[in-house]
Amino acid sequence: MGGPDKETLTGSFTAEKNAKIFVAGHRGLVGSAVVRKLLQIGFTNIVLRTHQELDLTRQSDVEAFFAQEKPQFVILSAAKVGGIHANNTYPADFISINLQIQTNVIDAAYRNGVKKLLFLGSSCIYPKFAPQPITEDALLTGPLEPTNEWYAVAKIAGIKMCQAYRLQYGWDAISAMPTNLYGPNDNFHPENSHVLPALIRRFHEAKVSGAKEVVVWGTGSPLREFLHVDDLADAVVFLMEKYSGLSHVNVGSRKEVTIKELAELVKEVVGFEGDLVWDSTKPDGTPRKLMDSSKLAELGWVPKISLRDGLVDTYKWTTRGEQFYEGPVETV
Amino acid sequence: MGGPDKETLTGSFTAEKNAKIFVAGHRGLVGSAVVRKLLQIGFTNIVLRTHQELDLTRQSDVEAFFAQEKPQFVILSAAKVGGIHANNTYPADFISINLQIQTNVIDAAYRNGVKKLLFLGSSCIYPKFAPQPITEDALLTGPLEPTNEWYAVAKIAGIKMCQAYRLQYGWDAISAMPTNLYGPNDNFHPENSHVLPALIRRFHEAKVSGAKEVVVWGTGSPLREFLHVDDLADAVVFLMEKYSGLSHVNVGSRKEVTIKELAELVKEVVGFEGDLVWDSTKPDGTPRKLMDSSKLAELGWVPKISLRDGLVDTYKWYLENVKL
Repeated sequence: MGGPDKETLTGSFTAEKNAKIFVAGHRGLVGSAVVRKLLQIGFTNIVLRTHQELDLTRQSDVEAFFAQEKPQFVILSAAKVGGIHANNTYPADFISINLQIQTNVIDAAYRNGVKKLLFLGSSCIYPKFAPQPITEDALLTGPLEPTNEWYAVAKIAGIKMCQAYRLQYGWDAISAMPTNLYGPNDNFHPENSHVLPALIRRFHEAKVSGAKEVVVWGTGSPLREFLHVDDLADAVVFLMEKYSGLSHVNVGSRKEVTIKELAELVKEVVGFEGDLVWDSTKPDGTPRKLMDSSKLAELGWVPKISLRDGLVDTYKWTTRGEQFYEGPVETV
Repeated sequence: MGGPDKETLTGSFTAEKNAKIFVAGHRGLVGSAVVRKLLQIGFTNIVLRTHQELDLTRQSDVEAFFAQEKPQFVILSAAKVGGIHANNTYPADFISINLQIQTNVIDAAYRNGVKKLLFLGSSCIYPKFAPQPITEDALLTGPLEPTNEWYAVAKIAGIKMCQAYRLQYGWDAISAMPTNLYGPNDNFHPENSHVLPALIRRFHEAKVSGAKEVVVWGTGSPLREFLHVDDLADAVVFLMEKYSGLSHVNVGSRKEVTIKELAELVKEVVGFEGDLVWDSTKPDGTPRKLMDSSKLAELGWVPKISLRDGLVDTYKWYLENVKL
């Protein structure tokens, strides 16, 4: 399938701190973490556009933006995201908006001389019944999870676009697939947030209201993997610096916890002193979901933020204001 | 996953012969056959645009076109297509151009009041090792054939877009996946055409040049299925009339032939009197490739053009149209 997998040291990403970098989706969980990391490293020329300023689903607007700005690097972390309910209710939005964003940005980036682009996906690209831990090779080997197949198909197309542009043009486009992320700017919405932020919110509200207990669904036995989004941002920089291969790359923490261990840790970090009760009549969900991140580990990257430290950091961030953050306001 | 699979009679497609129909890709193998069929049925308001007149990869142009023309129906048979060599050399074109065409047309069609859209794909959407005959359920159950995965991923995304628009908006978008097609306007290029047109060309050139023999690669034993593109066009009209379901629909002839039977038939139709020789040192390719078209058969559609009749028709077209 074209040239060999070039996993060579490119080493030019962090060399020039005034290189112009476009971070698409900078207000989201991932994009905001990437911006934080780039600023921390010392980059001085980070180009950002809100949705109102630049609608990435508009081909001509994206082309005009790239023609004018001509960034050297692009981190494509803009996407239409949501939980199970949103995916089920707005399948057309989830597939078409993501396809449009990806096709517009990847193509315009290539045509306007971007040196390197990193595309971010999600572990939901993998088959529902992929053997655990999930390796990069599992892609397209079996049926997707129906509840997010619209989003997953779009993300898979994005990975394939990056590969195709590398093969046809020799252009440096790479893809990173993170595991379950958490951290600042996550979605803490009471109804549609993921399990980790949901637990933080619930234990906090129980502490504040003096509730006797918090009831969590299931037995607590399913195994999950979590990665603090600042670790992901660190991996993004690492991959931009060191990876120019054809294959997408899994980015996980390689550390599993049971939902029970997670809930107990969140309870402790939040400081809720009531009871944690398990409603084992409710469903558990997938028994195990763990990415195989050995490809990234072999390249030399390791995560730095333990789950405990990450939860402390995240809880601190959530409670700095009066209310829980429920995601940026979307006008799409 | 949203509403039930509504396989009901819609029956409004052929009712008004002056309904405005946009056939995207009308100069290709499939699009030209669809136009022929629509004219034959008596439609009087078929809107066509060449690539120069309307570049379907341009979002604003497609939106402006739909806003102005407001067709009632759309047959989306425009695509960037090609053989193994082209797919391998231009993978970015094959995935991005097809994604752009599909995303632009499907979205603009929905937003401009199109009543029904039919999206055309290809049997290459299915896993390389899908059990034969290949049912619609085989989609995304295994790895794709690497040589055309870029095109296949784009086509799969098109099917999923049609399903997603149906689920979110209740909009009538359907997808049809044809088997190997042949007929007028096919590609007869000596290097990159598919097996059937390649055989027509080679036997014809051997006849004209008085060659002693034609050598064909392999043993001739692999099984294949072919459908004349006029039959596909007939199925397109049938599906537009009668099908409003969530699932894509396979369109095959349900008739298998060995490559040997095909070659012998082409030799006979073309009238080459030399020898047909098999070079069995060369590879055969996939042992069998057959679509399961029972879903379409249960809806009540059958193909009408036998392979022999189809080859006669195609050879006649070849003689009249292909410059040697």
